[in-house]
Amino acid sequence: MYKRMSLVAVLLAVLSIVALAQQTPPPKTHLKVGDPAPDFTLHATDGKTYKLSDFKGKKNVVLAIYVLAFTGG
Amino acid sequence: MSVDSIPANREFAKQIGVTFPILSDFKRTVVKDYGVFNEEQGFGNRATFVIDKEGIIQHIDEGNVAIDPTTVIDACNVLQRKKASQ
Repeated sequence: MYKRMSLVAVLLAVLSIVALAQQTPPPKTHLKVGDPAPDFTLHATDGKTYKLSDFKGKKNVVLAIYVLAFTGG
Repeated sequence: MSVDSIPANREFAKQIGVTFPILSDFKRTVVKDYGVFNEEQGFGNRATFVIDKEGIIQHIDEGNVAIDPTTVIDACNVLQRKKASQ
């Protein structure tokens, strides 16, 4: 009996976490398609510095932001 | 790009076999400028921006949608075709 109740409790906890995760939409950026991309200058793992505006007139750029290193995705 | 330090990203890149450079926005200025800073957690939310040669944003994927690169690849292909037709 207790075993079944604890199983139900675990199941409910998992479902609430899933529901909570689905209820929290990611914040929407104020930027829209057609907006100029804000310029930036950042250091990279290769020791170089990259400035977005240096690519202007030369290359398209894909800026992929991931949450944290050592995590999936 | 992430808000991790360069040494952390370097180690992460080594672990997952990434050969291209990864940018570090340790000061969180870029994630704020791009409107993806998660204040509660202190990191940038997952997002991908496709920026054309003129510096104009042509595509945005935010949140879990950005895990799948299909739409970003499509947007890049559109830009490539545009380039080819010019």
